[in-house]
Amino acid sequence: MTTAPVGKQVLLQRLDGLRQIPTIPAVLAPLLRYLDQPVEQLDVQKVTDLLAQDKSLAAQCLQMANSPLFGRWQKVESLRGAVVSLGFHHVSDIAMSCGVLKMLPGHKTSLDPAIFWEHSLGCALVCRHLARKINLADPGKAYLAGLLHDLGIIVNLWVLPQEFRTAYEMARAEEIPLHEAEQDSLGFTHCDSGRLLAESWGLAPDLVEVVSYHHSPEKLSQTTDLVALVHVADLLCRMSGLNYGYAEARQVNLFEDAGFDLLAKSSMSARDFDWARLTFELDSYLDEVHSLVRAIYRT
Amino acid sequence: MTSAPSLQPVPERPAPDLVRIRDLIYSAAGIFHPDNKLRLLQDRCDRRMRELKMQTLREYLERLTIGPVRQTELIALLNDIVIGETCFFRNQQQLDALCHVVIPNILQIKSQLPQRRLRIWSAGCSTGEEPYTLRMLLLDEAHGLLKDWSVEILATDLNERSLSHAKEAVYGNYSTRNLTPEYRSKYFLPHGDQFRVNPAARSNISFSRLNLSDDARMTFMKSMDAIFCCNVLIYFDLVSKRRVIEHFFNNLLPHGHLFLGRSESLYGVSEDFRLVHLPGATAYVKAERSPAGSKTI
Repeated sequence: MTTAPVGKQVLLQRLDGLRQIPTIPAVLAPLLRYLDQPVEQLDVQKVTDLLAQDKSLAAQCLQMANSPLFGRWQKVESLRGAVVSLGFHHVSDIAMSCGVLKMLPGHKTSLDPAIFWEHSLGCALVCRHLARKINLADPGKAYLAGLLHDLGIIVNLWVLPQEFRTAYEMARAEEIPLHEAEQDSLGFTHCDSGRLLAESWGLAPDLVEVVSYHHSPEKLSQTTDLVALVHVADLLCRMSGLNYGYAEARQVNLFEDAGFDLLAKSSMSARDFDWARLTFELDSYLDEVHSLVRAIYRT
Repeated sequence: MTSAPSLQPVPERPAPDLVRIRDLIYSAAGIFHPDNKLRLLQDRCDRRMRELKMQTLREYLERLTIGPVRQTELIALLNDIVIGETCFFRNQQQLDALCHVVIPNILQIKSQLPQRRLRIWSAGCSTGEEPYTLRMLLLDEAHGLLKDWSVEILATDLNERSLSHAKEAVYGNYSTRNLTPEYRSKYFLPHGDQFRVNPAARSNISFSRLNLSDDARMTFMKSMDAIFCCNVLIYFDLVSKRRVIEHFFNNLLPHGHLFLGRSESLYGVSEDFRLVHLPGATAYVKAERSPAGSKTI
């Protein structure tokens, strides 16, 4: 290593002095607040109107609503149709996914924003799938946790683009996990920078834990199921094609992984779960996520 | 109302009977067709249905599940599924994982041993494309990673005709379709309008006939670092499959790896092996056994 790690202090200073700290797109906050009410009180037209306020967000939501990833097989051509056929919960998942996309820088400095979004989306889908299959968490919450787990990478891309680029290039060249390269080269990881953003946004405490501890769930004194779930889903995505644009040259044995062990303690079915089948199913997700992201980036 | 400028065509929902056939094949043979490969499965079923003059998937599903010839039909379908899979460099991600992750790990583990030897077994090698592919990959590393290591490849199959083809080492365009021009010129010689594997890539591979259910002979396959057994176990019933897997457990060294075909799984078959994830591929490693000794099968 030729340069000293920048350290957390520099991160804090830059975050403090920077006006560009990513924010949740303006339209999303009222939408998500509205969707948080009991379903019986929700009105399709109101949700449609809220979404339609941001034209590009609305167009992206419509693209996503037409993907088999959200269980639809008929073509949906209007926002109202999407809200009706997908249901309010999926609308919230989709809106949040598009929100993350909007927070990303528009240009590529190191990690391609499109690839980052594919990883986040893939992880969200695997989390939702796992939550359903091994009865660990609310599938909607699991989706959100998977989607937001790497918030810290967004921070790094905005706040320390050059320094993060060095870490990313190192991870790529040495084919090692990104958080290890960040630790070596920056002196902190995207878990640390993500925590700052998650707390400043006032995210729910369990989501802050996911953002902060998804690479080290064993460090939490009381691990929530959600952190262990995201940890395992993230690992599976990184070993498949839903990675950060490079393959980590290593072998992962879930049964020797501390995070998996925590998952297995919470869910009796985790050890007997068919992980091979899930891995093969990821192949389908991969294709769908690629084609969705290509479609959205074209619009 | 906002509408998107260009909506993707929405794929068709998979037919429920096709999904049932997918699940039947997975539980009987261990091969899984994810949603993006269901079209392939549909094509294979269509082919069988044409032969049987059947009109609907429902009829075909019944033949696979309740007809008197269901077992025969399942084997016919499996043959159609794996046919044409035999070619050089069949599963590139699996081979990359072997060369970039598994072999370096094995060499590190064995580096302290006096004998620098690597043994790989292609169990069910069919017409030889797999063992020759392995040989070519390992030859590429002969002066690098594998310098000073002796490499032995054992290739076995039940079928005598396949084995003679393998020893002949002559292949047409179909088998060689995945070859890069570099590999074609480096390891093949023209042979009429076909190609023959060159002497270097034919060296250090021993071909022999072996029935994986032959318990006596299976115990002689010792000290393996890796076993490739792709699309072979699908033809075994659960009891025979468990017996073969038990042998593989004993044939492999403690750090050994078992590689199966793409989307082939040991779920529900063996507790002796653990699934491991490699970049873009999976394999199985030996699970720690309880001190009480080996499991009964």
